[in-house]
Amino acid sequence: MRRVWLVASREFLAAVANRGFVIGLLLMPAIFAGIVALMPRLMESPGEQIRGEVRVIDPTGQIFDGLRSALTTEAITRRRQESTRRVLENAPEAVRAVAGDSAGTAMDRALGTAPALTVVERPADADLQHEKSWLTEARPADAPRRLLVVVHPNAVVPKDGSTQYGTYDIYVPENTDERLETTFYDGFRETALSARVLAQKMDRAQVEAVMRIPRATSTTVALNAERQTNVRFNRTLPFVFAGLLVFGIMIGGQTLLTQTIEEKSSRVIEVLLSAVSPLELMAGKILGQMAVSLLVLALYILLGLVLLSSFAMLGLLDPLLIVYLIVFFLVGYLVFASVFAAVGAAVNEMREAQSLMTPIMLALMAPWLFAAPIGRDPNAAFSVAMSLIPPVNTFAMMVRLASTTPPPFWQVALSVAIGLVSAVAAMWFAAKVFKVGLLLHGKPPTLGTLIKWARIA
Amino acid sequence: MDSALMLRDVRKSFGSTQAVDGMTLTVPRGKLYGVIGPNGAGKTTCIRMIMSILFPDSGELSVLGRRSALEAKDRIGYLPEERGVYRKMKVGAFLIYMAQLKGLSAEDAAARVPAQLENMALPGTENKRCEDLSKGMLQRVQFIAAIMHQPDLLILDEPFSGQDPVSVRLLRERIEQEHRRGATVLLSTHVMANAEEMCQHVVMIHQGRKVLDESMSGLRRQFDARTIHFEPLDPDADPSPLRAVPGVERLDRHEGSFTVTLSDGIDPAGAIGRLAVAVAPARVELARLRLEDVFIRIVAEGAASSAAARALRADLQAPGAQGSFI
Repeated sequence: MRRVWLVASREFLAAVANRGFVIGLLLMPAIFAGIVALMPRLMESPGEQIRGEVRVIDPTGQIFDGLRSALTTEAITRRRQESTRRVLENAPEAVRAVAGDSAGTAMDRALGTAPALTVVERPADADLQHEKSWLTEARPADAPRRLLVVVHPNAVVPKDGSTQYGTYDIYVPENTDERLETTFYDGFRETALSARVLAQKMDRAQVEAVMRIPRATSTTVALNAERQTNVRFNRTLPFVFAGLLVFGIMIGGQTLLTQTIEEKSSRVIEVLLSAVSPLELMAGKILGQMAVSLLVLALYILLGLVLLSSFAMLGLLDPLLIVYLIVFFLVGYLVFASVFAAVGAAVNEMREAQSLMTPIMLALMAPWLFAAPIGRDPNAAFSVAMSLIPPVNTFAMMVRLASTTPPPFWQVALSVAIGLVSAVAAMWFAAKVFKVGLLLHGKPPTLGTLIKWARIA
Repeated sequence: MDSALMLRDVRKSFGSTQAVDGMTLTVPRGKLYGVIGPNGAGKTTCIRMIMSILFPDSGELSVLGRRSALEAKDRIGYLPEERGVYRKMKVGAFLIYMAQLKGLSAEDAAARVPAQLENMALPGTENKRCEDLSKGMLQRVQFIAAIMHQPDLLILDEPFSGQDPVSVRLLRERIEQEHRRGATVLLSTHVMANAEEMCQHVVMIHQGRKVLDESMSGLRRQFDARTIHFEPLDPDADPSPLRAVPGVERLDRHEGSFTVTLSDGIDPAGAIGRLAVAVAPARVELARLRLEDVFIRIVAEGAASSAAARALRADLQAPGAQGSFI
């Protein structure tokens, strides 16, 4: 046991006390936080105001005037403010609380100052080819951007016997800022909508009122409290937890694989084997990397909790979930780490590990495929089955636990038990392969070879 | 006193290859044993079985009185043939780690490191990363790792491979030092010149079988009493009186010296005296035993053709091996 401990602590220190680890995992959240802090400042530098001339050919005669007033700088600004307000209305309460008014200004800044456009009408019978050549002419410095728009004749009133409205064709010179087209579209939409409603002899405000049905926010009724359901939070949670689980397993598993291959290829392994048994070595390595994974996981959980509490959403998270995360991490890690260790011991170099790793990687990718269906329907037959089939059972059960309708406790316990049994089986298999594989250098083994080794060892 | 090492009819095969075929061997405590044989003879497989890194298909073995090396790991020092280090680890940290695995406390191990490095001509390398050391230096580090915990049994698999002559001499001194301390030493080599100068006892392995198990003094008596090197004081002296000395069977002339082959049953000590009287000698001595020759002779007695013997000799001749007189 003392030797297992020695191997484990060396593994842990070798993994943690190097520059790559510190940069990769500890600084990542710091960099992330830095970006979050810096972004608004970067956005504060206002974008250059877009100036330009828009020529419009309007055969309907009902669009141009409206278009000109909809494309004034003031009108563009007003529309932007309106849409910002709508976005914020749909945002979760916490985001609104944090962002407040500054969100609106931040968005303005991101979009830059509203463009100053000169809108010019061209005769309805103007020659299109001739007008297009205007786009390629050398431009004066004060009106550098140009658009040429041809409104469809049926943009306001459909052709007889049709309900299909037309829109417009737009011609731009090379290197046109895409935002300019969007700005134009918004203005055209506004104008055409009003013109069409007017042509139908209806009231625009009334039409909009008829069309508006805001989505209701549900209230979750629990035994002793009611709270506003946070749909987005609930939908994200299973992904986050499945992600943390896979992430934790990958960190330890990958290092285990590369470290074992390195020990083998640098021939340090036989020196070690004179002092420790293969089983002690494997156990030590698995435990050491488990500690590394736990450290990283703890760090990320902590970061997540800090974020949640800063958004005043801490209450939405059931603390028991974190306990479950650790439990399922330990079970899942033991299963996968054993296999990683076995593969590391069997191959001579990283390249040979690829083919053996494919099934393992697929199993690790599985949560991304089934997190959504299981999260939506946590107690369906599919969900229950997945949460009992190793090696994906830990992921599936984690997703179910993080969903809105957690599974009955006996299923959780059964899943853990199945996980433990498969961990023991995986470790048994790995120990055999480890013992045989460590000293063999030769042609890369296949899965069949590994199974053969497990049988003879 | 019980033996340090005992193998009884140990066999091991890999697929259809019989690597070790009925090995029986006893190494008494405190001896310096050499296991010799060409590449692929089964030396490393034997040693790995002694170390319980591989397990025999059949047969029995005991190590330091235990049924397996696993029960005596902390009292064994092992330098495997395939040896490596953690490239990123510092030399001192690596040695401390290895010594800790062998049961020393961290403080105890740390206290021993500087002196051990000094002793192996590696002073001041403690805080260097292993990858910054030359291959020869790393081999010496690995040797230290094998002896740090002062083992009762030291097993060295090809300790001299890849070493320059200066390192070979240093390593030999340290191995002899360990032996004087009281450790039983078992070393394998395919360079027989090293074994014949160091070992008290040699075991020869060929194709998985033991073909010789004999002390060096016994070997000298058995194989080599008949050849004498004779260098006359006057290089131009007439050698014919030598041929007339009783017991001389053959006389071969070389550049400035002669090889005298005695007939069977002649006492070499008396013959040396008589030769010295016949012609004034600058140097007269019994030819040094060459294990390589002994080995070839033993193997050639079997079915080996002269071509096979030549191939074997090529394999056994490592850097520094000279011509032979058989």
